[in-house]
Amino acid sequence: MSEIKSTVVDFVKVLRNADIKVSPAETLDAMDTMHLVGLKNRAFLKTSLSMALSKTPEEKEAFFQCFENFFSFKDSETKDETETGDDFSSEEYSNEKISEPSRGRGGNGGQKSRDSEELDETVGESSLQPTSRLGKLLLLGSRSEVMIEMIEAGRTVKVNQIIVFTQKGLYTRKIMDEMGLKGLQDEVKELKNGGSADGRNLARKLEKSKETLREQVRDYVEKQFLLHADETGKELREELLKKVKLSNLEKRNFKDVQEIVIKMAKKLVSIHSKRRKVFKRGQLDIRKTLRKNMQFDGMLFDLKWKSKKVDRPKVICICDVSGSVSNYSRFLLMFLYSLAEVIPKVRSFAFSSDLGEVTALFEKNSLEDAMAKTMRDYGNGSTDYGQMLEDFKSSVLKDVNGRTTIIILGDARNNYGNPKSEILREMYERAQRVIWLNPESRSSWAAGDAEMPKYSPSCHQTEVCNSLTHLERVVSNLLKYSR
Amino acid sequence: MQWVLIAAKCKKYREIVVAIKNQERLKDVQTIKSQFESLNYICSEEIATAVYLAYHLEKPVLIEGPPGVGKTELAKTTADMLGLSCIRLQCYEGLDESKAIYEWKYGKQLLYTQVLKETLGEVLQGAKGLSESVKKLQSFGDIFFSEEFLEPRPLLKALKEKDSCVLLIDEVDKSDHEFESLLLEILSDFQLSIPEIGTVSAKKDKKPIVFLTSNNTREISDALKRRCLHLYIPFPEAQLERQIVQARVPKISDQLNKQLVSFIQELREMDLKKVPAISETIDWAKTLILLHSETIDAELVRQTLNVILKFQEDIETVSGELASVVGRALKNQ
Repeated sequence: MSEIKSTVVDFVKVLRNADIKVSPAETLDAMDTMHLVGLKNRAFLKTSLSMALSKTPEEKEAFFQCFENFFSFKDSETKDETETGDDFSSEEYSNEKISEPSRGRGGNGGQKSRDSEELDETVGESSLQPTSRLGKLLLLGSRSEVMIEMIEAGRTVKVNQIIVFTQKGLYTRKIMDEMGLKGLQDEVKELKNGGSADGRNLARKLEKSKETLREQVRDYVEKQFLLHADETGKELREELLKKVKLSNLEKRNFKDVQEIVIKMAKKLVSIHSKRRKVFKRGQLDIRKTLRKNMQFDGMLFDLKWKSKKVDRPKVICICDVSGSVSNYSRFLLMFLYSLAEVIPKVRSFAFSSDLGEVTALFEKNSLEDAMAKTMRDYGNGSTDYGQMLEDFKSSVLKDVNGRTTIIILGDARNNYGNPKSEILREMYERAQRVIWLNPESRSSWAAGDAEMPKYSPSCHQTEVCNSLTHLERVVSNLLKYSR
Repeated sequence: MQWVLIAAKCKKYREIVVAIKNQERLKDVQTIKSQFESLNYICSEEIATAVYLAYHLEKPVLIEGPPGVGKTELAKTTADMLGLSCIRLQCYEGLDESKAIYEWKYGKQLLYTQVLKETLGEVLQGAKGLSESVKKLQSFGDIFFSEEFLEPRPLLKALKEKDSCVLLIDEVDKSDHEFESLLLEILSDFQLSIPEIGTVSAKKDKKPIVFLTSNNTREISDALKRRCLHLYIPFPEAQLERQIVQARVPKISDQLNKQLVSFIQELREMDLKKVPAISETIDWAKTLILLHSETIDAELVRQTLNVILKFQEDIETVSGELASVVGRALKNQ
């Protein structure tokens, strides 16, 4: 039973690697489930465990994949076994089952693969038998016995702690050593030096099976690597991508980044989707109280207070999409539209000189398409913040009210044009908040043609924003302030 | 006296028999599945497994899936199968503990105090002074806040049920976050705390089988998910759906059944606002029977499209390419 425990714990570790949230309580549930269901029926176990451990459709999909990988050897032997009808092959189970054929080995062991049988025959002809432990195992044991031995060795050397792919060779070596490679090599050397024909023959056989074993071990390590390390590596990469400057991202990273953004957005949604009621203690709602207490004969038992429900923020987002800043705009928009669940009302505008609304574009098309179209329509031309503000004033400003948050993303480099900061001032006075996100570091905000010093007094908040982590912080604050 | 004893024994015996019977009915997944089938609820292996686990592990099941795939039906059928009563709590925004757990019978309390006014005077007659009266009153205990005056609501009712029951908490995603937290106690320990009375817990071996359903209109909190087994019911495969239609609309011919299911499956592949669920398939099957049709064709489908599609824009989308969809459906059947 302790083996079940360690299997479940290992399995849960693999699941967590694959981004499935499993709490200790659920691990305990999984153990109960395993006890109840037993290990006999693989499909039954699979559905049962999936119910105890994975709690969303996406998690279920990941779970099934992990289950397939974890509870099987990618080995012909297992396939043979499944075909013979017994379709379960967890590590433990094969442990119990395999003991049978090995006991009945004298009477022509049942489940041997062809080449080990072949070897068996030839060895049977010669009187020589291998003496080292590994040698015996290789030539006389069935392949599943070898497999078991290998997994045991893998456990001892802790192959599940493998992190980077360069370690594959090391672990292969370690497992081989653990299985008694040295004894085998010594024996082979001895046999070769011994000089008898039988001896040389056996030595050759041993060498050959040693190579096969090495292949097997490498396969096994490879699989363990995919199971345990792939995700750890991914995590590392994700952390890195979160911190890297967005303008330095290459196109091939976009897909990864998009995934991360969606993940971060999901986290923000789950934090902020709780619509807490904020009670303003001290203000009695007389109408409500009277109505509620009518049932008590007008005696005021149950006092009702004026409550304030939290409003979802109304966001207007103005993005500079000229060459230097376009990447930032891309990810800001990506973020905002992934948050549709908590900020349903996002209006977005793009500009380099003229301002245009792109809300519909983003609602109807996929993010990629919408971004490409935006770039095509608004991306050319030199940046002119004055013109942008002018356009904003003439077409959108009337919609701005005390519940609107305006986010402007841009480097405020105005090509020495008229900044028209008085319009921003007007926006500042009407809106709930004006946030300016600038991808450049604060020290260069006043250098050259940058107009930040003129704009920043008319903003509630100015932020340096050049990585995903920054973006996440900004959006999270946005949600926090709106309540 | 003896009769009473015998009657009591008989009752106990019957209870044991029911318990054994249910044990037998839930012996393994195949048994559950065939029992469901005999009750006209055709289910997949997963669904039967969920019921099996729920009973044996004594854990609630959270059922998710698109509307109309038989989430609520599963709970009702389970209750039917086990011969237990099904207590249902429909969730909605603003549902609170007075509607879900218990409420004091205020009217009754008031009435009793009025009626007992005089008795109260008699009881307190011997007492001299205020402090003595209060002391005397206190010695009576909390008469007005006892079980007598408690109105149990679904959750409490389920715990107090004499021989177990099926508790269905329907559309839990419609309730508020606060209510979700309220559920945690009953879900993990099968007990509820009432400040005035104490903790009420389910009898051992008589714990209710709990089903929660959710349409995924919002994310259920992790705390709640952690306490439940999770079952996702997707739209059924063609094979299973045919069986369901056959079971629910026995009069249908094989050919029509095949064509209709195949058409519905085609529709689910399309980009619609609301794809038809099983309940719509069944409704449509009944409609077609009523119209005495033996096969489907484009014209017939066009006339009855409003049975399966509930949005005008969906109907327009499908009407546009109706001929090709029907063609594909007939080919793939």
